[in-house]
Amino acid sequence: MLNKIKSSKGIVTAVWVLGLMVIWEICAFIVGATQRTPINVLPHLYQIFGSFFDPKPITGSGDTIATLVFSSAAETLSRALIGFVIGMLLGYALALFMNLSHIVEKIAFPYLMIIQMIPILGMAPIVLSITGDISSARIVIAAILTFYPVSTNTLAGFKSVGRERHELMKSYGANKFQLYIKMLIPSAMSYFFTGLKISAPMAITASILVDTLQGGNGLGCMLSQSLKGSMTRFVFWDIVIFSAVIGVLSFYLMGVIERAISPSKRKAKKLNNGKD
Amino acid sequence: MKSKAIRNVLTTVGLPVLFGVIIFTLWQTKVLHALFGTDEIILPLPTRIGSIISDNFTSMLPQITSTLIVALGGLVLGSILGYFIGVAGAVFKKWGMAGLTIVPASNAIPLVALAPVINNWTRNLSGVVDIRSTVAKIITVTIFCTASMSVNAYRGLTEVKPFSEDLFASYGSSKLRMFFKLRLPNSLPYVFTALRVSVPSCVIGAVVSEYFAEQVIGVGRQIRENIVKGQFPTAWAYIAIACAMGILMYVILLIVESIVLKNRRAR
Repeated sequence: MLNKIKSSKGIVTAVWVLGLMVIWEICAFIVGATQRTPINVLPHLYQIFGSFFDPKPITGSGDTIATLVFSSAAETLSRALIGFVIGMLLGYALALFMNLSHIVEKIAFPYLMIIQMIPILGMAPIVLSITGDISSARIVIAAILTFYPVSTNTLAGFKSVGRERHELMKSYGANKFQLYIKMLIPSAMSYFFTGLKISAPMAITASILVDTLQGGNGLGCMLSQSLKGSMTRFVFWDIVIFSAVIGVLSFYLMGVIERAISPSKRKAKKLNNGKD
Repeated sequence: MKSKAIRNVLTTVGLPVLFGVIIFTLWQTKVLHALFGTDEIILPLPTRIGSIISDNFTSMLPQITSTLIVALGGLVLGSILGYFIGVAGAVFKKWGMAGLTIVPASNAIPLVALAPVINNWTRNLSGVVDIRSTVAKIITVTIFCTASMSVNAYRGLTEVKPFSEDLFASYGSSKLRMFFKLRLPNSLPYVFTALRVSVPSCVIGAVVSEYFAEQVIGVGRQIRENIVKGQFPTAWAYIAIACAMGILMYVILLIVESIVLKNRRAR
């Protein structure tokens, strides 16, 4: 019974994905029949995947598309990851400080609100010229974009703990450290992961965007070079698909990590399953 | 009691303002420059940025309106589309739900990958660069704004008060009537929750899609072009404008929200 429900939901999702692929293919056929350069507009999916595994080298140094994409992805994504981790730590620390001290909260909270409304990605070029180095620019932007969703969501998690639970801990004679370790941090966990789910794809987007601003080695650089026609257009399509997949995976990865480490989620899942 | 309230207001408003003033002074007195290791050319003084904006505001206006059209057009279209997806999800429960799990995934697709693809698709739409480029940008922003609205609309349409569905059923109301009298009003606060996410992101979407657009216009494009040309103060002026646009739109949203949801809160 349990497995049946689970698999039926999986089937529904699979049908959706398949349906989208079919629509893509139909469009690709129409485009192929009407356009002069269908590769630029909408190539067939099999062409895109085929090109990815094409063993023919496309650069002077003998890289195939796959190795090229992977080497640039390693360059871009590693910086995105570093920025993500830095932003996560800073964001968590700020949320902690804001919950510990009223003064810090009063100073920082309005600015956390304001920073959400600022198009940080639009500032990417200026960050690049301040840091002067593409790698550190990637890290800085990814860190900023990770920082505020984590911070606001974690703070909301700390605040969501009811008064009566605070009073209970007090009646047990818990000190501040125990209060945080035993109660506040575990209960804010799901909020923290909500923040991470928002920011993980953003960190990747940011890192790729910074790439497109300057030459070098990275997903974004290859993307714009391929668009300009200095290498085959399939590099562009492969990178588009690749970065979309990575972005979506990063979102789901956060959910997987959350389920693995937060005890409340596991319990809730068990309860739900019991109901089914 | 009263003095306590006054003190509360003072600290709530005063402390952030004080912090802002400190940052401003550090910036103006070039302490920030020493801290970041930059110079006045790359990070110009706030007064210089302000004077550039006030001197060139008329010539900046076309750029601002272009970005505003893209951002607002995408926001409106994306929100409407998202709401309809939410409605579809609420009506066709089984298939709609799974569809809704896919829609947020579209938000994880990097904007930078999306914008050039959309550009390609709209290339044959019109012979006029301005039109096809604007359409491409609006579509990009639309996709960027759809997900949060669809998820929130779905929640607003389905998470009604317990037993209210039963109550409607006991009155013998039709499904359609239940939709308009119960589900639709119930989703209104959720719509605003979604807008709080998508209003800032529509500005981001507009700015970034301009980077890739054919047409060289818009606040975002000007940031990039001016940096390429080495005119950092002008680029900063456009950054300030982009920030102001985001903040202004958010404030307008908050005002509209407080007016629309006023009766609800009183109840």
